[in-house]
Amino acid sequence: MKKKSWVKALLAVFTVSLAAGLTACGNSSSSTKSSGPVKITFWHGMNGPYAKALNSIISDYNKSQSKYKVVGTAQGDYTALQQKIMAGAKSHKLPTISQTTYTTVPDYVKNGFIEPFDNYIKKSDLSDIYPAFLSSSKYQGKYYSMPFSKSVRIMYYNPTLLKKYNMSVPTSWEEVQKDAAQVKADGIYGISFDKSFDMELEGLAKQNGNKLVSTDLTPNLNSKKTLEATHFIWDMVQNKEAKTAGEDVYGDRTFTSSKALFYVGSSAGISSMKQYAPKGFTWETMALPTYKGNKATELAGNDIVMFKDASASEKKGGADFIKFLLSKKETIKWSEKTGYVPLTKSAVKDSGYQAFLDKNPADKAAVNSLDFGFQSTAFIGFSEYRTDLLSAVDAMLTKNETPEKAMGNLQTQTKKIIKDNNNK
Amino acid sequence: MMNEKPTWRSTAKALLYLLPMLVITITFNIWPILSSFLMSFYTKYDYYTDKVSAMGLDNFKFLLSDPDFHLAVRNTLIFVAGVVPITVILSLVIAILLNQIKWLSGFFRTVYFLPFVTSTVAIAMVWNWIYHSDYGLMNYFLGLFGIHAINWLNDPHWSLLALIIMTVWKDLGFNIILFLVGLNNIDPGYYRAAEIDGANAWQRFLNVTVPMISPITFLVSVNGIIGSFKVFDQIFALFGGTPGPGKADLTIVYYLYQKFYTEYKYPIAAASGVVLFFLILAVTLVQMWYSRKHVHY
Repeated sequence: MKKKSWVKALLAVFTVSLAAGLTACGNSSSSTKSSGPVKITFWHGMNGPYAKALNSIISDYNKSQSKYKVVGTAQGDYTALQQKIMAGAKSHKLPTISQTTYTTVPDYVKNGFIEPFDNYIKKSDLSDIYPAFLSSSKYQGKYYSMPFSKSVRIMYYNPTLLKKYNMSVPTSWEEVQKDAAQVKADGIYGISFDKSFDMELEGLAKQNGNKLVSTDLTPNLNSKKTLEATHFIWDMVQNKEAKTAGEDVYGDRTFTSSKALFYVGSSAGISSMKQYAPKGFTWETMALPTYKGNKATELAGNDIVMFKDASASEKKGGADFIKFLLSKKETIKWSEKTGYVPLTKSAVKDSGYQAFLDKNPADKAAVNSLDFGFQSTAFIGFSEYRTDLLSAVDAMLTKNETPEKAMGNLQTQTKKIIKDNNNK
Repeated sequence: MMNEKPTWRSTAKALLYLLPMLVITITFNIWPILSSFLMSFYTKYDYYTDKVSAMGLDNFKFLLSDPDFHLAVRNTLIFVAGVVPITVILSLVIAILLNQIKWLSGFFRTVYFLPFVTSTVAIAMVWNWIYHSDYGLMNYFLGLFGIHAINWLNDPHWSLLALIIMTVWKDLGFNIILFLVGLNNIDPGYYRAAEIDGANAWQRFLNVTVPMISPITFLVSVNGIIGSFKVFDQIFALFGGTPGPGKADLTIVYYLYQKFYTEYKYPIAAASGVVLFFLILAVTLVQMWYSRKHVHY
């Protein structure tokens, strides 16, 4: 009897150690492979219809050649994806390539995670890509990321309401403000913003002549120009001429219930607008209006980066797959299926794509914005700066802090972030 | 077996039995706690290569001077002080009522227990709708009493209360079950004796029920305090990944999360975790000391 229990106990210990050993082995065995196509692992944050479109492109690629096999893994949303990359970097289990926001590139370079594409993708292959996308790919003179799922801010408008008030489609923010003042008496907002207006603020500040953080890493958060732009939006919100979405997060709810003339949102929201707008509700889109006569629209979305830990052949394959994504046929397919913008000029010029635009005029606004699109300046610590930017906008909205105070604080914080991280 | 004298052999055997669980606990609990304690002293540290170039108390000094951390501690304390007493009292009252009715008590028990087994994210989505400023159920209900609509989720003055109400509702079920167990374990003889002595319902409650269920009350409040100090997921879900309007719902764990995942300040995140550890330890020690006098087993 006693002997038996000893045996049992030993067995239990043995099982536990075996299990521990197995999990350890399971992770290290993948690198040793003899023949067959090279496996390219690709992490992304796409879900639902976006993931479906991406998977079909991946399978197209795998069928198109036999050297590489791309395996895409959805890691949840963007936040979860960032956390997975962090954990992967810590445990040295990063994929070959991954989707990420371009603003994380400086941090990734500092920590030595990522490999520039300069040795893998020729400069001539990049000439077709819209310069605004490429500008954010370059960090310290090297191309560390390639554009992938990109969207722009556009303006949605309600033609029925405009007609009712005898207004024409505005071309400038100044006109938008006039229209807003006119409809206020009827309990209608001129404009509906998402929960935070940080992207619109960044756009207006750029139109007014400065970036929130300039390319030489000088923060302009409480410069005269930025404060003027902030007041432009904030005053409208204070006057009840504009509304931020609050708990709704996206401002389309106010817009589709005909309580606002305009809604500024992401071009990637077009597909959900098509799906969820109430029946009989008509809406159209336009590129963002000018401010002080200048055009600008902030580009958003994600890039793809390549990790250093991958083997040389994996890196080659990763770059090859990215080139495939950037090819005319695939970027058009991606754009038509998801609502993200096509990444290259030749794709936009393509007659097939032009025919698609004629059928889907709402998608035109985003394409028309590409020539004056811009992106934020990325630097080490950007993620912290962005949290502070969102807090500043939130403080102006929920605590009624003045732009001078909120943006003044943000200026101090940002200076410190840039200095502490030795960006310069 | 029970009366065997401890020998080397039997001790070794006991250790062998304990070993599997011990390995798991040391790997997933003890070791992380120790390493986060160590990490909180790293002042120059590369998280990815594990290279520590300097150590010191700077992280704690940073917390002392960071207004956001002060806010987080303040919010956490208000949250604990709001959630725990209300949960304990409300669940005790409901448990007593449930204990009185025989009819449908199983049904009600299930109803109250449902929030406990529902995922926090689902609960938060429903409450997000209940709290909606324009068409939420809460404001409609308040409107019936002539109370003005409250902007629960966008007004920094109300959003912490909104979180407290949701958490109390969510925690009730489990605590009610615990109290029900406690109530059922009270020997009816005590009540009969009290009745014979002429005690009325209130006196019976105060002098029989309260002391007899004190171990459960202790368990529920210790559990509640520890759980409430660690509040995070409700906030993340209810406020869509933000610490509430004007950081009104920034708690210590939310602060830790932000420092770790969005600001990449790992040692500071670890230091805030250490502070939380000692806060909970201190409060629990006070409770233990109090329980020696007032809890009757």
